[in-house]
Formats: sequence, C-alpha cells, structure tokens
Amino acid sequence: MKVSIDDVVLPGDYCEDIVNAGEKSKVILGPGLRKEIDKVYITKSGVLRKRAPNTYWVDSYQKRYVPSRAENVIGVVVQKAGDTFRVDVGGSCTATLSYLSFEGATKKNRPEVQVGDVLYAKMLIASKDMEPELVCVDSHGKKGRLGVLNDGFVFKCSLNLVRKVLSPNCPLLNSLKNEWPFELAVGMNGRIWIKAKTMRETIAVGNAILGCEYLSDSEIKSMCTNIASLLAGHVS
Amino acid sequence: MAPVKKLELPKSVLDMKFMRKAKERKEREIENTQDHHGLYANIITSEMRHASGNFISETSFIYCEDLLEGRLSFKGMNPEIERLMEQENKTTDIDGEMQKDISDEVLFEKLDTFKKRKHSNTSTPSKQPATKKKKRLN
Repeated sequence: MKVSIDDVVLPGDYCEDIVNAGEKSKVILGPGLRKEIDKVYITKSGVLRKRAPNTYWVDSYQKRYVPSRAENVIGVVVQKAGDTFRVDVGGSCTATLSYLSFEGATKKNRPEVQVGDVLYAKMLIASKDMEPELVCVDSHGKKGRLGVLNDGFVFKCSLNLVRKVLSPNCPLLNSLKNEWPFELAVGMNGRIWIKAKTMRETIAVGNAILGCEYLSDSEIKSMCTNIASLLAGHVS
Repeated sequence: MAPVKKLELPKSVLDMKFMRKAKERKEREIENTQDHHGLYANIITSEMRHASGNFISETSFIYCEDLLEGRLSFKGMNPEIERLMEQENKTTDIDGEMQKDISDEVLFEKLDTFKKRKHSNTSTPSKQPATKKKKRLN
C-alpha cells in the first residue's frame, strides 16, 4: 500500500514521497526503511517519521537490540578471553572489547575489569556478519563518559523508552534533576543504569523512568512531583 | 572551509642523500594506491558505484532523532560527569548567542542615565545640586 509521512505503516508498504525527495537531494533512510530498485519499502511496523530536511525512519516498538555503529550501550562482562573481554550487550552474540581500548591502558598496564562488571561503551564496529566490537575511549584516547559503572542498579526496558527518555523534549529528566542527587547511564540497547545515595531514591528514579513509557508530557510532570513529594515525606 | 592540504616535502629536499628512505616509501605508496584502483576495475561497474544514488542507509536512531548524551549526573552525584555536561552546555550556548556580562536592560538604563546627566550638565548646570540632594535622600 502507498503511504505518506506520519502514517501507521506495515512491512511491504512503500512511500513515494521519499523517492521524490531522493531525486532532488541526498536522503537518509533510517531504521525500518529499505531501498529496493526504484521504490523505498517499509520493513518494520510503526509510524513513518520525517525530520527536516530529509531524514526518514520508522518509529516502531522494539525490545530486541540490533547492534549498530556509534551507539552507546550498557554491557556486562561475561568472559575474559586472552587480550579481549566478551561483553553481553543484548544482541544476537556477545561483543568483544580489547583491553587496550581503555584510557591509559598499555600492554603492561591492564585495566581493572572483572567478569560481571557493568560497562558503558561505544559500538566501534557493528556489521551483520561479524561480532560487534566495543571501545571505552573516544578518538582522542580519553574516556569521557565511557568506562566501568560501579555500584548502582541496571534494569531493562524497551528501545522506545530509551529514546523517549533521551529526547530533549521529554520532561522526565528536567523535572527530576532538581529533586535529589542521582546519576544515570542510558544505553541504546535498552538497558539503563541508575545510582542514587539511598535505596529509596534509586527505586524512585527507576520507577519514574519505567512509569513514563505510556504517559503524556503533562502526566509525566505530575507523576514526578508525586514521586518527589512522596519521597520527601518519608525522609523527613 | 577549505580542506586541509596534506603536507608534502619539496622535491629538492627529497633528492638529498639522507632522505632516500622517505623518498622510496613515498614512491611505494603511490604505486600501491594505483594498483588498488586497477585491481577491481573490471568487476565494479559504474552502475554498482551509483546504485544507491541519493539514498544513504542508516541502521541507528541516533542519526535520525535528536538525542541527548546518555550519561548524566545531577546535583553533584558524579562531579566528573557534571563537569563534562557543563562544558558541553557552554559550547552550545556560545554557538547560539554571545554571552553577556551586562544584560541589555541594564546597559539601556545606564546609558539613559548617563545621557540625561550629560544633557543636564550642559544645558542647566544650576539644577544639578538639587538632583544630587535627592539622591542622597534616597
């Protein structure tokens, strides 16, 4: 069936608007779209979205993570294999992480990473036919925000929720950030790590994030004030 | 911006005796790249080169949607991360609008009073003591 922007789409549908845009200028086809000879087909069910000037993708509900390049993910070290670590990121197979791709690591000076540690890392290579490779440094050799995450609490959620939490329009983080100290790491693989000073506060952050999946912006705001007042009442 | 040109040694320097190794390496490099092009020339057709046309496929949402950096800290939980967040905010601020030490309103008021004083100085110098007294009363 022929579809246009902001429609609900199914795999096998095609969009002529994108083909027309592609004749004039470069077009970026995001997840859920595929170019086949002279048509652009939908490969996932969801809502067809467009961002100016010419980026198109399908906003779909998904829980399965498919590794792709340059995404920041949260992984768990499952094995030390010689000079690499095997890291579970939730994909079809484990990712590899060289022990040299940490800040300040050399052959003699190995990083202190144990089996079972939680890492925040960047996908360096992610292709269909090979196992993905992670790094914990940027191109300047600095660790930046990447590395081992100590203490805290990890939970899983859908990939949509991750994108919702990280979108600049989402009021969740803005309404929580002035309430109590906490930090979080959000992986594009649907895992979120949170850490706060007490167990109550950690649970409150976790519940706030999980609760906002199907709420509108105003509902999220009221939920956050609700949680904050509950927490403040018990502490004092 | 013009693309950064790769630095190359002048030919006269390369001809010197102690530069022989560098010269040989450069020649080898040129040879290698030429071979590379020719290697698959008969297999890769121009059709294959232009098959994707104007369409660029991306498998990640991070290029489609405008997303925040995924590592955040609030209210001093992790000072290291908060410093990085602040730095990032600063760079975006500078991009948007120049940072001001004095806001527009304050500048306007100051200039206005300055002009008035100047005006009163030149035209009616006799009034000046009166205004000064008022200010003291306040």
